[in-house]
Amino acid sequence: MKILLALDDRPRAVEEALRLARERGAILNALFVVDATWERFTGHDWLSGCNARIGFLDYMLTLEEKAAAEAAKAYLAKAAGAPGELLTVTGDVVGEILKEAANGYDLVVMSNPFTRGLEIMRDAVAKVVRKCPCDVYLVAEQDRVKL
Amino acid sequence: MSDKNKSLTVFKTDRHEDIAAIVFSGLIVVVVLTYMAFIVPTVNIKVPLDGKLVEIFVTEGSDVAKGDKLYALEIVKKKWVNNEMQEKVVVEEFTAKTSGKILKVSGNSGDDLKKGKHTVVVMDHQKGTLP
Amino acid sequence: MEDKGLFGKILAILPGLAVMIGTLYVLRMYVEPWMKDAVVFGRKGWLVQVMSLNYILLSIITGMVYRNILFGGAIPGWAEEGFRTTRLFIKTGVIMLGSLYTFDKLLKVGGVAITLIVAFVFGSVIFVLWLGKRMGADRSVTAAMAAACGVCGVSAAVATAPGVRAKPVDLAMAIATILGFGIMTMFISPFIGKALSLSDYQFGAWVGTGILNSGQVLATCLAFNPVFAPGTAVAYGEIWNVVRVICIPFVVFFITAWYWKGEAEAEHVSLSSVLASKFPIFVIGFVGMTALSSLHVLGAEGSETLQLMREVMAWIFGIGLVGLGAYIDVREIKAAGGIPLRIGLIAGATKYVLALIIILAFIPKEGAF
Repeated sequence: MKILLALDDRPRAVEEALRLARERGAILNALFVVDATWERFTGHDWLSGCNARIGFLDYMLTLEEKAAAEAAKAYLAKAAGAPGELLTVTGDVVGEILKEAANGYDLVVMSNPFTRGLEIMRDAVAKVVRKCPCDVYLVAEQDRVKL
Repeated sequence: MSDKNKSLTVFKTDRHEDIAAIVFSGLIVVVVLTYMAFIVPTVNIKVPLDGKLVEIFVTEGSDVAKGDKLYALEIVKKKWVNNEMQEKVVVEEFTAKTSGKILKVSGNSGDDLKKGKHTVVVMDHQKGTLP
Repeated sequence: MEDKGLFGKILAILPGLAVMIGTLYVLRMYVEPWMKDAVVFGRKGWLVQVMSLNYILLSIITGMVYRNILFGGAIPGWAEEGFRTTRLFIKTGVIMLGSLYTFDKLLKVGGVAITLIVAFVFGSVIFVLWLGKRMGADRSVTAAMAAACGVCGVSAAVATAPGVRAKPVDLAMAIATILGFGIMTMFISPFIGKALSLSDYQFGAWVGTGILNSGQVLATCLAFNPVFAPGTAVAYGEIWNVVRVICIPFVVFFITAWYWKGEAEAEHVSLSSVLASKFPIFVIGFVGMTALSSLHVLGAEGSETLQLMREVMAWIFGIGLVGLGAYIDVREIKAAGGIPLRIGLIAGATKYVLALIIILAFIPKEGAF
């Protein structure tokens, strides 16, 4: 079995994905997408002159890369010894998750709501669930009260 | 600057975009002025405001100089005076912006004309001037 | 990304650009004339006269329909490069607007514009800095919102963000708030302007002072009166807009200096470096165009040459505004929330209403030119 974990800043999805991978003896790949859609998000702003906008995009890229490094550190600390790898790509978050999910995975694990990059403003979960070629396991922000 | 950012906009930076906009607008001005000064074969002089044509001062085939009266239009002039909108019916005379020859007179006295739609006179203007 | 070369880049632009031009063509040639004659609620031209639906608003609405409905939330790859020329078109239109003035006209209105804008810009900045502190907001988000509410909305937030170490979540919320507020005011301002019988001068001054996001000032003025000519709403609104745009680097400097003053590790901020990296160069093009107009190089007022120039200007703006609409994602605006939304709503509404009161009290209906 092959599981894809879409990383955001919620630790619970990582814990759930690792638990599932251990229980099923699966390979777990974690995917961190550096969000490259800030240019689109601010595309309606036509007034920025000189280097204001490109300086802003550079700044956001720096923050995104910093977030990628922190997420990698946090993930690797938890997943030490587990079979699988950590993938980091740059692009549209949902697009990259779907692209990777198409590479023979049986399950995608992600937080609900999914908070990577600008997906806080969009509904990544709905788009992934609708278009994903495999099963999707959504992890709530907090543990539900067990009945 | 990172390679990723270079691919984010049509132009490398906003500075390039600003300069491109200046060049583009300059180019538009040059094209419009050149077209109107040298290329346009004849100039259709349209009424700039809605109104009633009162009089045409030129005839077909006549030569006009810059500043010569072309036609008179009865218009409703709206103006704010002391925070009140005042509407006044006035007759305004419109003059030639450049010298040339009148090729055709299209309007008749008493015609109701729409701004930018109706041509009053067709003129062959002196090349190199802006009609 | 592969390097396509100049020819490849131009080819990539064509499909999206063709959509923008084609859309505007249909709107101007067929939809707008139909609306002028259409009888709605028993009144001919109701859509234009009451709803203020001219080709300017229609361009933006159609662009929004493309993005949010037809394209399913994202501009497709084949059209993306073309739509990226949006900013070039709008900036070109803004530069060409310079041809509506001569320097003596600018001087007549400039004093009022500068006084109102400087008072409102720095008044809003100080108000938001106070409001942020009162709400217990993070200093970086307060700083970004102060810039956004004070001067030019999204552009100012974007210009200030790196200097005040703004966080992505806060910025995303701030941008969505400002854009949402701007769009709302763009649609309601013409109604209010007409209901209060504002003159073009008053309307231009009001929206130029009171609208949070400068990106929407010109569109709002054109929605009120779509004519490009001296003395129209857009001619006055643009003066306010240009003064606001020039203010951006100064506001960025002021807020960045405020931010670092309160931080343990102070970072040196210099006005010259902020000016060098943030000054909007296209404003120089606008001044250049006014210089040409002042020298009477562009043709006499009322000439067919100027008519053609203004017609081209209308097309340039319209094309840009279709693209602008396509960059507005309604779902992203709906996701706005948190402290940025609260600050934005309070500051935005206060500024909008206060500007209207000041305009009604102190600005005469008679235009300066």
